[in-house]
This record gives sequence, C-alpha cells and structure tokens, in this order.
Amino acid sequence: MADGPLIVQSDKTLLLEVDHEQADACRKAIAPFSELERAPEHVHTYRVTPLALWNARAAGHDAEQVIDALITYSRYPVPHALLVDIAETMARYGRLRLEKHPAHGLVLTGTDRAVLEEVLRSKKIQPLLGERLDGDDGGAVAVHPSERGNIKQLLLKLGWPAEDLAGYVDGEHHPITLAEDGWELRPYQREAAEAFWHGGSGVVVLPCGAGKTIVGAAAMAHARATTLILVTNTVSAHQWKQELIKRTSLTEDEIGEYTGTRKEIRPVTIATYQVMTTRRQGAYRHLELFDARDWGLVIYDEVHLLPAPIFRMTADLQARRRVGLTATLVREDGREGDVFSLIGPKRYDAPWKDMENQGWIAPADCVEVRVTLTDDERLAYAMAEAEERYRFCATTPSKTRVTEALVNRHPDEQVLVIGQYIDQLDELGEHLGAPVIKGDTKVKERERLFQAFRDREIRVLVVSKVANFSIDLPEASVAVQVSGTFGSRQEEAQRLGRVLRPKAGGGGARFYSVVSRDTVDQEFAAHRQRFLAEQGYAYQIIDADDVLAGD
Amino acid sequence: MSTEFTKWLRGRSDEQLRELVTLRPELITPVPAHVEGLAGRASSPSAVGRVLDRLDRFTFAVVETLAVLPSPVSYRPLRAGVARALSGPADSAFEARFRQTVDRLRTLALVYGPDRALTPAPGVREVLDGPAGLGPPAREAFRHYHRERLAELVGDLGGGGDTAEALGALLADPEVVARLVGEVSPQARSALDELAWGPASGRVANARREVRAATARSPIEQLLARALLCATGEESVVLPREVGLFLRGGRIHRELSPVPPPLAGTERTRDLTDRTAAGQAFAFTRAVEELCERWGAEPPGVLRGGGLAVRDLKRAAALLDLPEWAAGLVIEVAHAAGLVAASGAVDGDWMPTPVYDGWRVRATEERWVVLASTWLATDRVPGVIGDRDERDRLLNALHPDLRRAAAPEVRAAVLGVLATAGDAATAPLAPTLDSVRERLAWEQPRRRGPHRDRLVEFTLREAEQIGVTGLGALARHGRALLPARAGDDAAGRTESGTGAGPGSGAGTGAGTAAGLLAPLLPVPLDHVLLQADLTAVAPGPLTGELSRWLALAADVESTGGATVYRFGEHSIRRALDAGQGADEMLAMLERHSTTPVPQPLGYLVADVARRHGRMRVGTAGSYVRCDDPSALDEVMADRRAAPLRLRRLAPTVIASKTARSALVDSLRAMGYAPVAESLEGDVIITRLDVRRTEGPPQLRAPAVSGGLDAEVITAAVRAVRAGDAAHRARRKPAAAPDGQVPRSPATATIGALREAIRQGSQVWIGYLDSQGNATSRILEPARMEGGYLTAYDETRAAVHRFALHRITGVADVQP
Repeated sequence: MADGPLIVQSDKTLLLEVDHEQADACRKAIAPFSELERAPEHVHTYRVTPLALWNARAAGHDAEQVIDALITYSRYPVPHALLVDIAETMARYGRLRLEKHPAHGLVLTGTDRAVLEEVLRSKKIQPLLGERLDGDDGGAVAVHPSERGNIKQLLLKLGWPAEDLAGYVDGEHHPITLAEDGWELRPYQREAAEAFWHGGSGVVVLPCGAGKTIVGAAAMAHARATTLILVTNTVSAHQWKQELIKRTSLTEDEIGEYTGTRKEIRPVTIATYQVMTTRRQGAYRHLELFDARDWGLVIYDEVHLLPAPIFRMTADLQARRRVGLTATLVREDGREGDVFSLIGPKRYDAPWKDMENQGWIAPADCVEVRVTLTDDERLAYAMAEAEERYRFCATTPSKTRVTEALVNRHPDEQVLVIGQYIDQLDELGEHLGAPVIKGDTKVKERERLFQAFRDREIRVLVVSKVANFSIDLPEASVAVQVSGTFGSRQEEAQRLGRVLRPKAGGGGARFYSVVSRDTVDQEFAAHRQRFLAEQGYAYQIIDADDVLAGD
Repeated sequence: MSTEFTKWLRGRSDEQLRELVTLRPELITPVPAHVEGLAGRASSPSAVGRVLDRLDRFTFAVVETLAVLPSPVSYRPLRAGVARALSGPADSAFEARFRQTVDRLRTLALVYGPDRALTPAPGVREVLDGPAGLGPPAREAFRHYHRERLAELVGDLGGGGDTAEALGALLADPEVVARLVGEVSPQARSALDELAWGPASGRVANARREVRAATARSPIEQLLARALLCATGEESVVLPREVGLFLRGGRIHRELSPVPPPLAGTERTRDLTDRTAAGQAFAFTRAVEELCERWGAEPPGVLRGGGLAVRDLKRAAALLDLPEWAAGLVIEVAHAAGLVAASGAVDGDWMPTPVYDGWRVRATEERWVVLASTWLATDRVPGVIGDRDERDRLLNALHPDLRRAAAPEVRAAVLGVLATAGDAATAPLAPTLDSVRERLAWEQPRRRGPHRDRLVEFTLREAEQIGVTGLGALARHGRALLPARAGDDAAGRTESGTGAGPGSGAGTGAGTAAGLLAPLLPVPLDHVLLQADLTAVAPGPLTGELSRWLALAADVESTGGATVYRFGEHSIRRALDAGQGADEMLAMLERHSTTPVPQPLGYLVADVARRHGRMRVGTAGSYVRCDDPSALDEVMADRRAAPLRLRRLAPTVIASKTARSALVDSLRAMGYAPVAESLEGDVIITRLDVRRTEGPPQLRAPAVSGGLDAEVITAAVRAVRAGDAAHRARRKPAAAPDGQVPRSPATATIGALREAIRQGSQVWIGYLDSQGNATSRILEPARMEGGYLTAYDETRAAVHRFALHRITGVADVQP
C-alpha cells in the first residue's frame, strides 16, 4: 500500500504514475469520479471536481467506493479533509429528486427536509414551483413540466443537483436498426451506446476519429424512435446523413436535412446549430422544429460547442432522451455545469491514448517548426499595432517557403494545410498548386474537392477553419498548421483529429505547426504545445533552417 | 485559622507532606516558614479553589456531600450519602473508589481527621458557595429577617422562638418539612420542584411581602408564609437547604457515577491512524516552511495594533491552499515557535528569524516535534482569529490579544482524554466532540463554560491539522508528546505504585515522538519525472539541494504528497539570472531524471539561454557622448580623470560612476566645455534579497504550572519542618558562630550548598548583608534558583532568601 501508483495532492488533483504495475487497475478505479486533465508520458493528472463526483453518483458509485479507491492506491496518506469533502459533496447529489407524481405530474421531492426547505426559500427557485403537496410542510412540491430544465440548472448552481427520475416520453416509434454488413460496432462504441441507454440521458466522451457518429447511430437503434440530430455545420450534416444511410436500415427518404438551404422534416432530421440559432426580428424562427414531431431522441454532436440559445431550448426538452457526443468536456466558456444539468451526466469516456494503443485511432507525431523572421520582418513586426501583430507574424512570408519544404518532405502522403487567414491560404494554394477550401467555397465544390482528396486525385488541400469540424478526411496523414485562432486548445484538438482517423496503411500521422520565433505566435504555440503534450502526444521542436537544409 | 487542622497537618508524615506539595505546588511558592503558614495557605480561598478545580466530578461530589452534611461526619454516613445518588447499586467497585477518594482528599488536605470524624478543611465550605446547587441553610438564609417576622414564621410552623436558629431547627426535622410541603397547593409544589435541583434561587415580584400561612393566597405566598422560600432581596428568593434536601429525597446529587462516562466515537486502526497523522504532520511542517520562505521574500507588514492584516492572512491561506483558520494556525505556531517575528515594533514586517534557519535544516520529524510541542504549550489561541473582542475590534492573526491562559491546559486535558480512548495499541478511538466535552465535564466539573467548550473544539481540529491525531484518534507520535499527566493521574500512579500499563510510560517526550514519526514519513527522493508538457513531478519530498534548485528553475504548480513543477520561459530566465548556465541546467536535469530529458524541455532551456543576456543593463551616474572619438580618447587618457571612474561603452560614449553635475564640473576643470544633457535611465533589480530580523526573537517562556521536581519538593518540606520546629519550640536564634567568617571560591560555594540541599544538612555561611556588613549564619538550605538561596536561617529562626553573590563562603557546622 505504501508504494501505490497514486499521489493525492492538496488541490484535489490525483497524480497517477503510469509506469507503475498497478496503474491500470488504479485508473479504472479512479476514472468514474475524476476527470483526466493531463496525460503526458509518465504521470497523468486527474482532477476530482464536484461535477465529476456527481457524475460518479449518477453512475451508481457511492462515497465509500471513492474513498476506498483513494486509500487503496494512494502512496501517501490521504488528507482527512479531502475525504470528508468528497463524502459531503457526493451526499449532496440525489437529496432532491424530480419525480413523476400520479396525480400532480412533475414534483420535486427531498429525502432531507432541511435541504428542501433551503432550496424552496431561494428567490430564484420559487417562481418555478407550483403548490406544495400535502399542506405547508409536505415533502413534495409541484413543478411545471416546462421548468424541468431550468430547475435542474438552478439547483446545480445552489450545489444541490437533483436526480431526474421523472422518466422520458417514448416519442413516435420508428424502426431503426444497425446494418452491420462488412463492419461491426467496435466494443467501446457498443459500451458507450449501452451506457447512455441505461442512464437515460447523458454525454459520451470519445476522441476525434473514434467514430462518434456510429455511437449516435447505435443510440438511435436502441431508441427506435424519431430522432433529431443537431450538428455544427452543413458539411457535417451531409456527413451524418451519408453515414446513417451506410450504417443503418434508414433510407435516404427517411432522413431530412434542416439547414440554411433545405428545410425537410422527416423521421430522422439533421439540423445545424447555425440554423437553429438564426434570429429574425429578435425571434428564433426555427424553434418549432423541436415540436415539429414527437421526437424520441435528440442527439447533440460536439456538445462542447453547443451555443447558449440551444441550451435554453434544451431546457424545455427535458422529457426527451438526449445524448451528447464530444471529444472533450472542457468548454472554453466554462459551462460544463449546464451540460451536466441539461444534457446529462457523463456516461462514457475513454482516453485517447488507450484508443490509440488499441489501434482505433492513428498514432500522431507533433512537430513544431520554428521559423526565424528576417531582419526586415522583425522590424516590421516590432512596429506593428498590437492587434495586428498576431496576424502579421502568423502570415509572414517566411512560412510559405517552410510549408513548401514540409509538403515536399512527404511526397507520397495526403497532406492538409490548415490556416486561419484567407490571404495566406490563397497565397499558399497558389504556391503549392493546390485547391483552397474556405468559407465562400460552395458546398458542392467543397464536397467535390473532399471526394477528390479521398480518392487521392488531389494530394494537397489547403483549408481554412471551415474544415475544423466534423469533416471526414480519412486518408489525410499529414497536417501542416500555418496559423490558428490564437491559442485555442479546442481548435488544436479538432485539427489534430483530422489526421487521427485510422489509416489504410496503418501508419502514423504527422502534425506540423509552423511558428514564427520570438513573436506572439510562439507564445500561442506554447499553449497548444502544452495541450498536445498533456494529451500524451510526442512533441518535438525543430528549427525551420533544418527543414530547409534537409531538402 | 483552625488549630485542629494545623495540628493534623503537623501530624502528617514527611512523605505525606511531600505528596501534598507535589499535588498542590502553589503551596510552596514561596516556601512558607512553618506548618502553620502551610495550613494557612492551604485553606486560603484561592488555593482551595485551585485544587477543587482539578477534581473530577465524583471526588468533587464527595467534597460537596461532606460540606452539606454536618461536620464532623464519620466514614459510613458519608459513604451512604454519596451512594444514594448512584444510579446503580453500591458495589465493591464503588467501595474501592470511595475509599480511594477519601484518602486522596486527605492527601490533598481538603479533608482532615480520622475516618470516624471527617471534616472539610477550613476554607472549603466558604469556597463551595451553594454545594451541589443547594441553597444556604435556613439559619443563614433567614438571618436578616427581623425578629417579629421570624416570630410569625416560627409560630406558623408550630414552634416557639424568634431567631433564625429556631427556624432552622424546625426545618431540620424532615417531618415538619413534609407537613409543610403537603399543605401547599399543587402550583406551589411545582414551583418548589423547579428549584429543587438547583439553581436554588429564583425571582419573584415583591419577595419581602409579609404573609401569614392563614392568609396566603398565591402559590408563592403560600411558600413564603411557610418559610419554604426565603426572600434574599426585593425580588429574589432562595430555597433553604433543608427544604431542598427534603425535596431531593435525601439525595444530595441527582445522579453520580464513580467512573467517567464512556467515550463514543469511531474505532480506527492503529496503522491507518498513525499514517494519516504522519501525512498531516508532514503537510503541516511543509506549510510552515512554505510560509516562512514566502515571508522571507515578501514580508507582510505589522499592523499598528500588532498582528497581521486580514488581507495578508487571506493571501497566506491562498498560498498554502488551506482554509483561513488553518492558515492562521500555521502562522501562529510558526510565531510561537520563534520562526517568524516582527522586525521592529513600529513599521515592522513579519519575517523569518535566524531560528528559522536553524529549524529549516533539521530532519522533518524533529521540525514537527518543535512545532507540535510549541502548539501544546502556547497560550495563544489561533481559533479565535477573525472573532471580535468585547470592544468589537477584529482579532487579527498574531494580535497580542490572542492569548487565553487556559489554552495549554485545555489542550493537555483534551489530548489526555484522547489518550485513554479505545485500545491504544491496536484500535484507537476517534471520540466525537460531544463525548469529549462530556468526559471533560466529568473530569473537571468546576471548569466549564462556552469558552472552554470552544477551546475543546479548537483543540480537536487543530490537533488533526498538525498531525497529532489522525482521523480523530491520537497517533502514537502525538501521544509521546504528552506530559505524564499532572494532578489526578500522578496521584493515581503514586498510590498504585508503578504505572498502570505499558502505555503510561510512553510520555517520554520529544525524542520518542521524533523516533516514532520518522519511519512514517516519506523518504526524501533525489529524482523527478520530466515530461514533455514541461512539468517535473517529484513523487515525494525532495532532498534539500534538488528542491531548492527546482524552486529556482521552475514554478510550483501543485503540492501535496508529490510536487508538480512547471518549467517556463520565466522560470528558466530566473535561474539564468541567478547565475545558472544552460549546460549546467541540462546536466542537472539529466542527473536527477530517471527518464531522458524531453526534447521540448531541452529546446526551451537552450532557446531562453540563447536570448538571455544579449542585452546588458548597468547603472551609471552619468555619461559623456561626443561625435568625435578622438576627443573621448583624450579624456580617457587624462590622468586627472581617474577618480571619475570612466568606462568606454562605445567609441562615442563614456559612462561614469560620478553624478552628472560632478562630472560636468570635473570636465570643466580639466579644460573641456561639456554641457549637461537630460535623459532618464531605469534601474532594474532582478532578484529581491531574502530578509531576516536582526536578532533572535524574544521568546516568552510559556508559564509552566505544576511540575516541580522531586528534589525541590523534598527540600521545601524539609524547610517547612525545620521552620515549624523552630516556630513551635520558640527557639531562640542560635548565636552566630565564632571564628573566621568562612570563605570559599564561588563554584565551591554553590557545589557545597547544592550538596547541603540534597542531604538536608546545615551549613555555616558568610554573608554580606544589604548594608555590606559581613555576617555569619547557620542555614538549612532548601532551594536554590535564579541566583537566590532559600533556606531556614537558624540564627534568625526564619526562612530567608539569600543572594548567592553575597555569600562569601561556606563551611560545615561543627558538631
């Protein structure tokens, strides 16, 4: 016991030494109640947060198990205060429940009267509540069904997350089965779909390239009901449609697209966040889509990007089963709590590295290439306005030569060049003789180019940030990133995801970032470097001169 | 002064007197001149109060019973009086305990006389105002009634006379009281029952109304008319003792247990308790070190009224990642241990002392022992930080008013209770706060109150924080720090011979504690794990050299069992600034890493080093610039320019240490025609110096109560005896011996005196009195401390104190 693999830190992080012989068992024991924060090569960091503890409670773990896991695997004595804190936090979940009352419909009940009184006195909660059942000191209060989401959100903010036992409507029945011809559900995809179905609603966390669409399809096969799918953009909507036709018994007629150009409502409807959040004269015009059919399942793709208006709409959808798909629960806006209370607790997650070891996603090698600015460029950079500086150093002409050299390094592989600034991309496209996909490229044209890239007719493709999300480019094995949205870790994960799909040849992927030395570009790169290293990817820094000299 | 008590005390053996003063050390500070003096002191209210404070509930109840019963009382009725309050039968355990208690009270000189005539010592009754919650006897309560009223009352009761004594005699008859109580209405009866178990006094309007039994209407009037209640003021009444005793059915205490109440709580395992406590001990020691290191670099200011600003406390709490009360504890303990002190009375800062430097380099277990024993002994109460005092002023950390004299004693009492909880060897018990309070209430019934209850709570939570306890149960290294328990336990031990078991011998102090703690602490490591995300994880405490180096070259990101360091441009630059070279740093990393140094880390070090120091910054008083280098050549070559300390920075620039105006003057004197130029320069200081106070802190030795050593006690008893012998014999002062006044070297003098104290023999000394006259005395030395000798002076027939430096010499007394 005295030499366990786990070290408990006073800031509630857990350090797991991965080379330890008990590391695997320990990881399994602590994963339910802690979020993996960093996974560099030797020591992984998990964090115990209230949300993680409540996720664990929702999944049926109790405080005893959590404390036992910590004491069993900890190398040093676990601070008593931490154990007490864990027990107290976990005890907060489920003290309040949302249940279905045969006569009064949705009611809020509490096993602990003091807690119930406390929340009933809250000014924010009061307007959401109806009359109190069984007189003034009854243990249940009626809640209007439309406030089911709001009250859950508010209770979470008060620190008393409610357990939602009010159940779901079945929705309109629609037969959907998986068509496993020539492929089969991967074990983790099956587990994820089952974990979700068992839990009722919730979030499945899988890395990019791990086949989240298929988890969605499997969830639909469980529900066998009409389904609304919300995705990030039109291209992604097409992708979902094709994937569903390929993987399930659904035919093209059964799947509708609800996008900027087409407004079809069919048993399975795929809508984009953008169209849902379009306002005209101050009103969301497409809200009725939620009520257009008696949906049995709502799928949220890329839950970490879910825009705030959709949250509000989701608050009204609490009686329907919901599944969120994402690569990371980290939201740059810190609204993890809303995901927890409105979509549901985390139901499944698997670390990237493990999936890579099992061969489900391609291993990746990250290389940062540092370009030294010429003296003229440095002078111009020093004189640039503060807000122009990043653009200046990110699009410096020196990068073009280096990018060319990098592309030439991999003559037999499919290469994606990803950037932020259109001018730079146009210039690169011209220089490399490659087509450019950007915001104003027509959808048809985009798809033609993607297909050509997939068919290996085009070797190099230059893309703007439109390609960040959900575009299946299976054979890209090299990505060169020339500029990005400042230091967004989100974006980094997405871009890396572009090259992580398993390759036909089984080879590894290469991810280059071209960075201008001694500028803000380098500072932003440091954020991204940290993120990738924390995800456990091998990371190297090389000088551009070495790249150029290598050719 | 009771001569009987004095006589009894004189009749006690030397051994018994020694026990007495061991248990009541305040009786011999200073040493009384004779037994009469000793008796006087032993019956003074303050001394009696102090010893009563130390009695447990059962012993105290015996004293109360004795005080209520008419004296003298013999052993059997006393026992019967006490046994009535027992909830169970008076079994043999009670018998033994009662016997022991009576003997103990005699040892303490609270009770005297043989078994057939036990009497409370003089002063005891007076101190016990209202024993067992009973009111005063009728004869005292009614004393201030005027004769006519008394006559009315006695008459109504069916007796004759007009004195309080007559009334008392009537009420002393239970049958009379029974009749009277039977006469009153049920409401009046329930009013009596309210007062029966104390407090015996109540408030009514117009208490002095003079009503007769026949005309009394309201329930209160019925009681007043029958002398069942006695008015003590315009609006207050009291239940006379006789009535109270009757209502209690002859019992003096409602319930009484000869054994302390059992402790309730959770049982822990020995191993887990010790490990948890050790973990906490390590964390606490580390927190103190972290605090001192930070305050060394950025000392917070001392407030005008003393103490530390709330803001600084919050900052410390954030730094240490602790709640504020725990941060306050760290600060207070560090201060009490002398590790931090104010650098000056006015406008000072709180900063580490030189003592800290000594403490820092010791082994963790020894450092912990210093902190934990300081906490046990200090009279400061970190728990009240943030409270407001009676004048509504905020009590800040380190504020001078944070003292509570009772604190060390409460801590010792609470930990003493924990030490008895559960099976110390295998399954220690973590008692609940309430059960500890209940136990303390039994052990020290006279010492109660909300303040003490809070102190108990503070003690439990602080003991856990410091690592004296683990999971609420006392750890073995914590137990080792506890002193052998003074007071009742010591008595128990001397009476029953040796200690009760192996556990009782463990209070051997700091060395044992450190020895027990050491194997539980993590072993310092000399390696870290380096990772590509530019962190270094130290999976345990690091050796001093490595941890200091890492603290310089990386930023601490999280602490606990392990430490996570993060390397960044800023931290690497800090190390370079401190004189580290890039190659040196990489070598250090390689040496202390079990895995290869990740490429990005190596790159980072090289990259920062590449740019480091490319620009140079210095200070100069002024400069000279000139477009013509040959003019500057000329200046540099001029011998008169030497004192200006010139340095050629570039062909056209010279820097000088001298101020601009002086330089201009000097150049003019040398025949040039310079003009002054205005321009500002900045001075950059890269690292702050770590600061310390100038001298060691002025530590107040915590007041030690009890704990006189055996030799002093023996000597004191001897001195009292000798004084007493002289006093009684009305011995004439012995003639000053003839012959040469003795002379001996100072060291030999002290040696001889010490020997005389040990043997109890007489010596002949030469002494310079305050007028400078050389005198000679025959002494029986008793005690030597603080440069003074306390001795019985045969030549003056009294106990005196002699300044050692005035003793010119010592010689044996010729037989």
